[in-house]
Parts: sequence; structure tokens; C-alpha cells
Amino acid sequence: MNRQNQKSEISKSLLSDYNSGGYFCEMFGHSGLSHTEAIRDKLEKLEISGLRRRSRNAEKELFNLGITFTVYTDRDSIDRILPFDVIPRILSQADWAKIEKGVKQRVAALNAFLHDIYHKQHVIKDGVVPIDLVKGNGNYRKEMCGVKIPHDTYVHICGIDIVRDEKGSFRVLEDNARTPSGVSYVIENRHLMMRAFPDLAEGILIADVDSYGSQLARTMKAVAPQNTRDPAVVLLSPGVYNSAYFEHVYLAREMGAPLVEGQDLITENDKVYMKTTNGLQQVHVIYRRIDDDFLDPKAFRSDSALGVPGLFEAYRKGNVTLANAVGTGVADDKAIYAYIPRIVRYYLDEDPVLENVPTNICREPEGLAKTLANIHELVVKPVGESGGYGVVIGPRSSKRQLQELEIRLQKNPSNYISQPVVNLSVCPTLCGRSIEPRHVDLRPFALTGDSTWVLPGGLTRVALRRNSLIVNSSQGGGSKDTWVLA
Amino acid sequence: MHSLIARLASNIFWLGRGLERAENIARILYINETYGRDDPKGPDWTRVLRLYADLDRFNKTHDLSNAAAVLSFYVIDRDNPTSIASTIFEARQNARSVRHLISTEMWTQLNIFSSEVRSIRSRDLTTANLSSVASSIINGCQNYEGIAEGTFMRGEPWCFYQIGKYLERADQTTRILDIGYDRIHVDKGDAVATVQWNLLLRSVSGYHAFRSKYPGVLQPKDMVSFLLYDAEFPRAIKQCVDRITDRLRDIETRHGMRQDAQLENKRRALEFTLETGPGRNLTPNRLHLFVDTLQQSIGNISVAIDNSYFNQIIR
Repeated sequence: MNRQNQKSEISKSLLSDYNSGGYFCEMFGHSGLSHTEAIRDKLEKLEISGLRRRSRNAEKELFNLGITFTVYTDRDSIDRILPFDVIPRILSQADWAKIEKGVKQRVAALNAFLHDIYHKQHVIKDGVVPIDLVKGNGNYRKEMCGVKIPHDTYVHICGIDIVRDEKGSFRVLEDNARTPSGVSYVIENRHLMMRAFPDLAEGILIADVDSYGSQLARTMKAVAPQNTRDPAVVLLSPGVYNSAYFEHVYLAREMGAPLVEGQDLITENDKVYMKTTNGLQQVHVIYRRIDDDFLDPKAFRSDSALGVPGLFEAYRKGNVTLANAVGTGVADDKAIYAYIPRIVRYYLDEDPVLENVPTNICREPEGLAKTLANIHELVVKPVGESGGYGVVIGPRSSKRQLQELEIRLQKNPSNYISQPVVNLSVCPTLCGRSIEPRHVDLRPFALTGDSTWVLPGGLTRVALRRNSLIVNSSQGGGSKDTWVLA
Repeated sequence: MHSLIARLASNIFWLGRGLERAENIARILYINETYGRDDPKGPDWTRVLRLYADLDRFNKTHDLSNAAAVLSFYVIDRDNPTSIASTIFEARQNARSVRHLISTEMWTQLNIFSSEVRSIRSRDLTTANLSSVASSIINGCQNYEGIAEGTFMRGEPWCFYQIGKYLERADQTTRILDIGYDRIHVDKGDAVATVQWNLLLRSVSGYHAFRSKYPGVLQPKDMVSFLLYDAEFPRAIKQCVDRITDRLRDIETRHGMRQDAQLENKRRALEFTLETGPGRNLTPNRLHLFVDTLQQSIGNISVAIDNSYFNQIIR
């Protein structure tokens, strides 16, 4: 080794060996991004050993604070943290303005669509969306037909999964209109980041995320049944054994609302009450983190022990508001997803601000044929699944896996959609002793009562395994703090 | 302002009880070990089993009541629902369910503490090592209590937490009395008995307090009255009962709940038992019977609180 090399070895900076591998990079773009310059300068000054130490401390803090999801065995519980990467993902003002606008538009379209399919069904009659995709959908609730709900808002809390392709364009990958989770990590990640790396954010103006709880409380009060003077809002959780329980606690505390389970609620004369130390008290708005199926054993699954008998009847009569509404799952289904750009145009008479990823619908002969012909280069997703389960990535699958998939596709084509592989953007990520590119997505959260508010940023999930495109926490994903520059 | 969800009020109550119980089990194990130091046969561990009325339960699963078996039963055995490990695990589960009602610091400390307790292994539980294990448990519980004192909002949840804590403390003090009841006759010069009473006092952090109030030769009746009635000693049963009464009144007045007649009766009954006392002519048998009655009265309050606040019959 000559002198020159030795010297460069010593003064090598944190990002000098970083290579984004041809993907669009959130930090560098394809050839340098001006809005990340300040943070890059600061990162360059850090040493990998220091970064590692601070990262370990940050993860330990997550354990101590109990910001964990829990895996239960017979009698014990194992707490796992959502791995946290210390290098933030940065969004420019312009990027965020576009995302915010696109998310608001999409939420407006989802709500209009849901109101329509549960009332006059113009969208079906006008041939925009096929009838069986709506009525044949497992998440369509015919019980919701004709039910009037405050402000016609169905999706009060919405998480929209957005990816960035190799050109750097944002595209919607999935809508989450049922009970999207992850928002607590957005806020806790920020707190953690500011404690562990106060120097990194110094002098950089970042949009604040702390107001989520008060915005959520405001939204819930806005959708209380009419003429409720001081609405009582509660958060309904499946209980401590739910893997998202930490988030339920977090949101209840941020809203200043009681955290209840099904067993704490009771219905009488089609009104909902909570059992308190001082007897029964009426409840007006329920932010529920329980799926439709389990809400009310009288109306839906009769074996549900998590729900409240009679809740749906109280809801139908307008005595209590549920957030999100019952039956929103039909709108965030992967089968309906392909129609969302048309749904946006249909209700809002606007072009979508955020495009979809091009999608083949396998229930249509043309879509199935295209999928089968190009199976080795497509991502095939079962509809009606969540958490990244059952997703097959063509280019990364063996011949045998693809053959098995073909059989499944031909047997039950309407269960699948397919999309080209989106080469998700990457972000510099601390991996062992080096900084490497890892794929990321973004889930912004939108709150809608009488109007829509979007939390600046959202949850950046990162696929920590090398080359993995799947960012879900159940499949080796972690998260990053997301900075929207103010 | 809404009232507390009944189930969560119960969880907070048991959170207060659990931490207090764990601390006291650690105290009693420690004191039993020191108590038996002068005995050539070593500490009598069945005494602790009798104290908690656990003999039958213990004998079902154990052949020998030696130090290792009893210590493991009370410290780490998760099959024993009243072991320190089970109690702390349960407390953490309760804390998890009421995490939005307690302070972040309380939750964090308990979270760290419970993983420390979880890491205790049977090899750590030797007689020689017991005092260090016990004091680290006592310390963890006291840290928690200190954090609660400094950060827990004085609302309805706090009231139930305090009631749970003081009920448990009162109950545990009766057990300390019960350990000593057969040593009630201290002949002048009975060095062993004096040492043992002193140890009992130390186990409840009451030795110096007692000594400053009652200098001179130790009289068991003074000690009994100290543990039962002393107005300054925070573990005296009277103190605990007064705190319970205070918090029940808070719940009724500040938090606007009706006084429950049945609960009020039980509370008065406890006060009455306490005021009546074990009688002037203290015999081991009398003291033992009195302690029994006291324990029952304390248990009755717990049941009455459950009926009137946590499990009201919904019409």
C-alpha cells in the first residue's frame, strides 16, 4: 500500500465509499441533491464508530422506553423493537408539497367512493368500477348501505404507502384505509433522533410532528354525532396482547382519551357506554383499532370476544361514530387500487397528483395473460392480504416458485394483481460497519374530519436486508426518521 | 372529565399492590436468613412458607424445604404466582395496560427493573448471596416508589394506586408481627430473642426509629404497639389504614363518587379491629389471633373495593 492510499484510508469520510448502486438515492439523487447538502456535510464529520455507538444507545433506549412490539410465548413475553436506523430520510419542501397535495386528493377520492358505493352507487352504474369488485369484495359491508355518518367521512385515519421509482418519481403502492398503524413510530423516531443526534439537526429547520395527537383529538371531536356538546372519545384496542399495543397506548395518551377494550364497553338502548369506577358513562366517538369482523359479535363475527355486542346498531342509528367507518376495506383492497386513478378523475374531475404503479388485474383475461407471459419480471400480489404476505417478486424467485405461482394464478386469477418491479429508491443506512444503500418507502398519515390534515413526513420504512424490497416490519424492515424541510 | 375505566382502575390498584408485595417478600426472605444465623441448623425456611400460608402449595411440588428450594420458589419461580418474578411480571403487565395513565418514568423504570428480575438465576440464590439479591430487589421497588411519588399525577389513578400500596403494606406488616409472635416473652437477658426482634425491626426499616422512641430495654409490647400504631412510622398499620381512608375520601369528594355503604362498613370494621388491639395482656396466642383478624379485615376491604369500583354489577 502506498502512502497516498494510507492517507485516504485514514481521512476516509463516512459517505465516501457509499454507492447507491444505480437506484435513486434519497440523499444523493442520481447526481447530488441540493436540499440534503447541509445534512451530508454534518454526516461527513461523524465517524462510523461514533455513529455505531449512538445507534446502539438509541436502540437500547427504545427497549427501556418500551417502544416495542411484543411476541408472546406461554408465560413470557419477548419485546422486540422496530429496528431504527439513525440516518434520516430527507424530503424537500417541493417533494412534500406534492405528496401532501396528492394524499389529500386521494383521501377525498376514497371517501367519495365509499360514500357512493354505500348509497347511490353511481360509480358502478356509470361503469367505472365493476360491480363484483365492490359487492364481491370480502370487505364490502352491505350493512353500511344507507347509513349516514358525520361529514360523510369514512376514512378518518389514512396511511398511503408511497414509493419512489428509479427516476425519482413518487408513486402510490397501496392505500391503508382500515386501521393503518405506525404513526407512533414517526413521532418517537423524531424524539429519539433529537436526543441521540442533536448536532445533526442543528441549524436545519424541520417540520414538526408533535401535533399529531392534538390533531387526532380534534378530528375525532369533529365527527361526533350531531348535537353532542362535549363528546367523549375513546380508543378501542384489542388489548395488551396486540402487537401494536404500544401505539394504542401512545395515541390514547396523546389524545387524552381513555384506552378501552371491548369488555369495557356496553350498549343500552342503542347507546354506547363505558364502565367506569363511577358507573356507566356515554361514549360518542370510538377510534377503533379492531377490524370490522371483530367489532360486534351481533353484527359480524359471532365468535368475537374483542368486540361490543350491539355496537353496530348504535352506530347505524347515529348514536356513536366509529373511526374509521365500517366497510372501508373495500376501498384499500389491492383489486380496487388499480381503479383509483379513474376514481380520482370520476369524483374530483382532476388528474391524480400521485400516480399508481402500473397494475395488471388478473381477474381480467388481458391482465392475466400479461402476468403469465411476464411472470419472471413482475411482482405478483394476492389481493386482500396485508403485511407483504404472499408477495412473489419474479426476478428474485426460483423457476419452481414461479411454476407454483402460475398454478395458483390459473386456479384463482381474481385473487391476484401484478405490477412491474419498482426499483424502490434507496437511502444511506448504517449496516454493520459501513453505510450501505437500503430500499425505503414512505407512509404519510392523513386525518380527516370535516377537512384533511397530513402529518408532515410520515413513516419511512427501510428494508434492512441487502437487496430486499420488502419493508414490512414482519419481514425484516426497520424505520428511519423522516425530515420534511421547513 | 370522564371517570377512570373500571378495569384499568383495578390494574392500577394491583400495580401498587404488586410492587409493595415484591418489596416485602424480599424483605422477609432477607430477614429470615439473618434471623437464623445464630441457629446451628441454619435458617428455618418453613417459617416463611407458614407466614404466607404457602406450605401446602409448596409441598405439592417440592420434596425439601431447604434454602435453595424456598428461595427459588419465592424469587424466580414463575409457576408460583406470588413469587417476586411473577409479581413483577404481573405488575409490568398491569403497568403496560395503564401506561397512558402513569408517567413515562414509572413505566421505563419498571421496564428496566423487570428485566433485571427476569435475569436472576437459581445460582444467584445462595444464602451467601441473598442479601445482595434481596437488596437489589428492594432497591428497584423503592426506586419505583420514589419515581411515582415525584411524577404520578394526583388524580383518581393515583388514589387507587395508593390504596393498593397501603393495603398491601398493612398486610405485610401483619406478617412481620406474625414472624415475631412466638418470641413475645423476652426474658431479661434473652439475647437471642432481643437480637431477633431487632432484626424484625430492621426488616421494616424501623430499628432506629423504634430505638429513638423507646430507648432502654426492649419490650415486646412496645414493639407491637410501634408496628401497629406509631404515628410517625410509615409502615405502621394505623398509618396505612389512615392513608387508605384519605384516598377513599378523595375518590368520594374530589372525584365525585358516591360512598359505598358496604365498603364504608368494612373500612370501619378494620379501624375498629385496630383500635381494639390485641389486648393488654399480650400472649403469643392472643397476638397471633389478633393478627389473623387484622389480615381478614384487610382482605375484606380489598374485596369491597373490588365490588364497589372495579366490578360493579351493571343493572
